Amino acid sequence: MKTVIDAHNISKVYNRKTIPVYAVNNVHLHLERGEFTALVGPSGSGKTTLLNLIGGLDKPDEGNIFINGVDITNLSSNELINFRLRNIGFVFQSFNLIPVLTAKENVEFIMQLQKMNKRDRGERVDKLFKEIGLEDKLNERPSKLSGGQQQRVAVARALASKPQFVLADEPTANLDSIAASNLLDIMVRLNKEENITFLFSTHDQRVIDRARRVITLVDGKIISDSANVATNTMHPTN
Amino acid sequence: MIFTMAWRNIWRNKMRSIVIMLSIAIGLFAGIAVLALYKGMMDARIRTAIDAEVGHVQLHDINFKKDYEPKYFVTNGEHVLHEISKISGIKLTTSRSITNGMLATATGSAGVQINGVIAEQEYKASQLKNKIIEGKLFDNTKKNQVMIGKKLADKMKLKTGSKLVLTFTDTSGSIVSGAFRVVAIYQSVNAPLDERNVYVTMKEMNTLLTIGQSFHEIVVLLNNDEDLQEVQQQLKQKFPSYKIETWKEISPETDLLVKTTDQFSYILISIIMFALAFGIINTMLMAVLERTREIGMMIALGTTKVKIFLLVLLETILLTLAGTPVGILIGWLVSNYFNKHGLDLSGMGKEMMSSFGYSTIIYPEFPTDKFFGVILIVFITSIISCLFPAIKALRLLPVEALRR
Repeated sequence: MKTVIDAHNISKVYNRKTIPVYAVNNVHLHLERGEFTALVGPSGSGKTTLLNLIGGLDKPDEGNIFINGVDITNLSSNELINFRLRNIGFVFQSFNLIPVLTAKENVEFIMQLQKMNKRDRGERVDKLFKEIGLEDKLNERPSKLSGGQQQRVAVARALASKPQFVLADEPTANLDSIAASNLLDIMVRLNKEENITFLFSTHDQRVIDRARRVITLVDGKIISDSANVATNTMHPTN
Repeated sequence: MIFTMAWRNIWRNKMRSIVIMLSIAIGLFAGIAVLALYKGMMDARIRTAIDAEVGHVQLHDINFKKDYEPKYFVTNGEHVLHEISKISGIKLTTSRSITNGMLATATGSAGVQINGVIAEQEYKASQLKNKIIEGKLFDNTKKNQVMIGKKLADKMKLKTGSKLVLTFTDTSGSIVSGAFRVVAIYQSVNAPLDERNVYVTMKEMNTLLTIGQSFHEIVVLLNNDEDLQEVQQQLKQKFPSYKIETWKEISPETDLLVKTTDQFSYILISIIMFALAFGIINTMLMAVLERTREIGMMIALGTTKVKIFLLVLLETILLTLAGTPVGILIGWLVSNYFNKHGLDLSGMGKEMMSSFGYSTIIYPEFPTDKFFGVILIVFITSIISCLFPAIKALRLLPVEALRR
């Protein structure tokens, strides 16, 4: 198994000079390629902060994070931008598609940033939209898509750059149950068929039920990290 | 795709963008209108200076203009005139005998420049014929005729038919006088010149000056203004012992005025654009602040700061340039309309305009020569205007921007 994420002893402290609040407190996290992991915990437990740290959107106050062997805590902000572009896919709770671009352009935008040629972009867009089942919505702007459709486009966008892993922050939080179920089906299928690593934070029990590993965070600390027996029975780990 | 995004982004808030585009259009129109007016005024002033006052080039004895002493006439003048006529590009030449003297009437006196002219040539060279507002042309059969300017006539209370005495010194320094009768009163657009210049026939003046067939000044008019320097050089080579001056040297105040007006035009446009820049900055700042989350997300996904800067820059340039053609078009239409029909500025004060040598009817001309300068100023304005909003966007931390 190839290690994708290796976080050592990471902490993130707010109000360090007054009353320190540990959003993430001495967390060790190790993720192998192909894992489908849920990060759960109550509001304010540090899920989003931990995802931001692993995604290189924020820097830890202590500890190191290795992505594919690269210590991202030592990268400059410009190096981090480039690193994120080539290694990490993001799915946000509120979709965050660029409203002036069509669904296709939103996905293609990332590939353009990677300087992928037009033909390869076209082929990848077709493949991704087929996978998310939105081939007929290529030229629609986000405002014309439902929440579920927008989040599926966001997943396609996250995968556009062929990342090492995808971080998803509450991906189903703004979706109805059918849309959430459809999105989960797509994520599970991509994980299973294309061995894409997913790490997502969630409150949603349906999502937790589909995860193969569940990490529980409380007050910035991992209090449990266990394989989801029920899921693993259905989908044994590679 | 950054260009596509920039273009679509400016239409996200149509009303706000249209308002700023219209402000730019109106600002540019105002700037172009003023430039067109200045250009019309300057062109008219130059034309008046050349066609009705000093001509393109003048030739004098090297010492003549120091004190206007009559003894410094152009020697062998007919030969010089003949040689000048051989130079290509020359429209016409005329000669003048000139001296400074005193005009006296029964009620007063005034210092004047007395111009002895060959009537038919002078009518063409300085458009003297067209300037006559009262009286007749010089009559070859009559003697001692003088044409005076309206301003002088009013000052000295002279009318056509009035008698006056012109007193000046001849080549030997002796004071000579002649009694003349006002045959015509002329009025040009340049009141100070009208007050100072009187015209008599060269024949009578030369008799009083005792200079025979000689004269003091040769005025050269060209077919094309662009030939000015070349003709001056040729004349200097042919007649190195004479003083050869272009209208710019003879009337440096006109040349200076044209140059300073040119500079002032750019300053004016810059001031207008500077004022508009605040509107553009405000619009772009709102656009960036409204999209904090979106820009943060773009940075999170891997959009480099250069591309974010480029996006804001392109949006600003497109926003600015979108209003530019409208402003230029309106400016062009309005200046063309008034170029054909003239703009009557007599309401501003005919006397004042005339005292500065300007006609009250101005024909504004679209400032084609400043077109690229204006576009450049607009372009620079948009670049400067984008800096503050762009810096704001670049300073966004994705983790904070995404929280909003």
